Amino acid sequence: MLAAVPSATLLGVEGHSVQVEVHVGGGLPVFNVVGLPDVSCREARDRVRAAIVSSGFTWPNQRITVNLAPTNLRKIGSGLDLAIAVAMLVASDQVETSAIEGLAMLGELGLDGTLRPILGVLPMLDAVGPMRPVVPVANLAEARLVRHDARAVSSLKELVAALRAEEPWPDPPVRADATFERPEPDLCEVQGHPIARRALEVAAAGGHHLFMVGPPGAGKTMLAERLPSLMPDLDDRGAMDVSRVHSAAGTLHADSGLVRRPPFRSPHHTASLVAMVGGGSSVLRPGEVSLSSGGVLFLDELGEFPAAHLESLRQPLESGIIRIARASASVTLPARFLLVAATNPCPCGVGRWGECRCTPAQLARYDRRLSSPLLDRFDIRLGIDPPEPSAVLAPDRSGETSAVVRARVTAARARASQRGVGTNRELRGAELELHAPLDDDGVELLRAQLDAGTLTMRGAQRVRSLALTLQDLEGGEGPLGLAHLEGASLLRGQETTIRAAA
Amino acid sequence: MNAEPDAHQTALPPEAHPTALPPEAYQTALASLEGVGPARLRWLLSLGAPDEVCTMVIAGSLPPAPRQLALHDTTVTQWRGQACVHDPAACWQRCVDHDVGVVSWGGVGYPPSIAEDADAPPVLFHRGDPDRLDAPRVAIVGTRRATGYGLRIASRLGEELAAAGVVVVSGLALGIDAAAHRGALGLDRRDGPHDPGATTLRRAPVAAVVGAGLDAPCPVRNQRLAEQVVTHGVVLSEVPPGVNALPWRFPVRNRVIAALAEAVVVVESPATGGSMHTVREALARDRPVLAVPGPVDARTSEGTNQLLSEGAHPCLGPDDVLCAIGHVRPTSRTPEPADPRPDPSAEAAAVLEAIGWRPVSAEAIAARCGLGFDALAAALGQLERDGWVARVDGWIERRARPPTIRGGAWGPA
Repeated sequence: MLAAVPSATLLGVEGHSVQVEVHVGGGLPVFNVVGLPDVSCREARDRVRAAIVSSGFTWPNQRITVNLAPTNLRKIGSGLDLAIAVAMLVASDQVETSAIEGLAMLGELGLDGTLRPILGVLPMLDAVGPMRPVVPVANLAEARLVRHDARAVSSLKELVAALRAEEPWPDPPVRADATFERPEPDLCEVQGHPIARRALEVAAAGGHHLFMVGPPGAGKTMLAERLPSLMPDLDDRGAMDVSRVHSAAGTLHADSGLVRRPPFRSPHHTASLVAMVGGGSSVLRPGEVSLSSGGVLFLDELGEFPAAHLESLRQPLESGIIRIARASASVTLPARFLLVAATNPCPCGVGRWGECRCTPAQLARYDRRLSSPLLDRFDIRLGIDPPEPSAVLAPDRSGETSAVVRARVTAARARASQRGVGTNRELRGAELELHAPLDDDGVELLRAQLDAGTLTMRGAQRVRSLALTLQDLEGGEGPLGLAHLEGASLLRGQETTIRAAA
Repeated sequence: MNAEPDAHQTALPPEAHPTALPPEAYQTALASLEGVGPARLRWLLSLGAPDEVCTMVIAGSLPPAPRQLALHDTTVTQWRGQACVHDPAACWQRCVDHDVGVVSWGGVGYPPSIAEDADAPPVLFHRGDPDRLDAPRVAIVGTRRATGYGLRIASRLGEELAAAGVVVVSGLALGIDAAAHRGALGLDRRDGPHDPGATTLRRAPVAAVVGAGLDAPCPVRNQRLAEQVVTHGVVLSEVPPGVNALPWRFPVRNRVIAALAEAVVVVESPATGGSMHTVREALARDRPVLAVPGPVDARTSEGTNQLLSEGAHPCLGPDDVLCAIGHVRPTSRTPEPADPRPDPSAEAAAVLEAIGWRPVSAEAIAARCGLGFDALAAALGQLERDGWVARVDGWIERRARPPTIRGGAWGPA
């Protein structure tokens, strides 16, 4: 006897439809799973058998073959357990075939028949199509984000009772878990740092990557953590993309809905390359560059990151995606993040003047690691000194709150989107000529800097784009003048490495 | 034992050499032998014509050496083997390939400035024009691990001495040496190479004395600087091309620096090290030694402060050095030109005051003078255009006034 139940599996951050077919027939009692299952999927045999028996159903002592179609797709994880179990019960005549029509099953089984939550429900639901999904109770909140008709059950026994129409469907309400949500750190908590505040605002508004150099304790991390709070909520499409990534990685807090706030990720410099860009031998999991998509990727101690990690950031910085190719599969993950990096001026942290204890060789090595192609991607390069003692001892709470700044950022981004780009950073060459014209003083200023060699051609473009963002934040119109270009030059720094005066 | 010299003789017939090669080729080959310093080389060359001495080395027929050379028989035996490797023709070819000139003591082109020294190098290798040494010469030496202060002073000293017509001599090492060379070549001028004044200003050439063969830069990091010194001066070495730098070569090199210079300025040095060796060599030759004072608790100024307490001349600026060598600044009588930069506005002046003399972040300036982003950006933009400040990445530093030749010590800025 034959039964088929639709389900789905996860590859990267995309769900793929899987048809679970079970055949129960004559022969010696064996139980085989075919159709390219990975190890955790093959283990389903033992889980399903135990769950069926301990839920009080009969295990057919016959030859059982489970096929996971399409057979060329590698199936990963335990999410197919429930579909296999239900198909088993149908094939052994314990559940009517008509009862499962139009349903898709997702979930992992415990040995006692309870249903456990799985990763990546959000993208998997895309793959089940018009089928009505049945998911574990713990995944219900997540499933309801995209499917209002999603059904949830807590155990195999409960499901079968509903299928046999012995009990009504449980349809539990989505539990609003009283999880304590940590509020985003607010910009008004920052003491002093008037320039860095503006730099954060410009970075958020124009999508300009930000690089901060400063001694330990200057407040680089504190500033970076407040950047997401200046960014507007993600739009529906963006929120969906980001939520899908977090669902696949298991970091989605579905109780609070889709991910609306830009995420903030700060991987440690000892993170592996796979943890940074995503991948893995069987499960192609999203890495930090994807988890920070739509938000901020903060690399503290940039100079300590292995060179390979930093170079791997170049593709996502260019194209907003990361492509991971393995022998088994290749996936494309979103990676549209705002990069914020911080570093000490030298290995000992003092700076290259005064009491610096670094040897010339150490300094040379430090400089080499921060390759100029990478530093070139940062539009804003800011030196950060610790705030003056007076600012710390007499806290001034009058600084703008994140909400005030966010309103300006939102308006500025709206202006950018009228130009047909997400943020001003994406404006290039001719577009920049069109949207960021200069007045006479501005032309003169840039020409003087180009002549003096303190600005490169690329640098001049970045300065224009920064100046445009500054103008957008003020709500101004017309050609860019001295004021905006001077502000942009201040943020841009000079075309050198991090080497300060020595 | 006889096989090696025989093999050599069959490979390169001795009759081919005298016509093809100048005596310098044989001198180079002799200098390339392991453990041959100035004293042993002088003895070897005193034994006869260089090509004959080469034959003697290969044949093992050297006369017994004076006791003070401490030349053991084993070394002489090693030389016999090495003489095959350091073939005069190959040594000469290496000199030609790397554009290295060879002059021998008493020969044509040997710099007269060092010829009278009691311990003058018997053979000198050079790149660049050795005639450029014919001017007042001052050595600027110091530690490799210098502080920003030391590098700044070395560079300024080098720059102003070169502008006053003094050949700056140093060792092309990292740290103070390189800073002195850079200063003397005008590479550290804040107004950069774009300034037309940099080309019109007459500068004295630069000299470097290194402890390794001139075919390979040592240290590699100073390669470009070394090329600049070759272009605008001369690089000397006692070591033939193809011979690696060995630790004992550096003190030997220091003696050449001391012998060349009419005065030695130590900018920063710990209590021991190569700079102090140069000082000893200079004192042995009765050359004036000047030291730049430094913080008394800084390890990098321990040596210089100690020299001062022992009676070295304090060096507070280029004039102290010029005074010590009895050199009169060619243009010292011209009045000091006014600062060419336009006076900053009141607000800009306050910003300038807040910057001080260390690189600071815009942040710190804003905090010190209470300006907002826009006002500060405008003030800094103006100051930068007028040449008062420079931006170095995220940091902002105050620029010294454009270098002018003027009298007196520097004094606090």
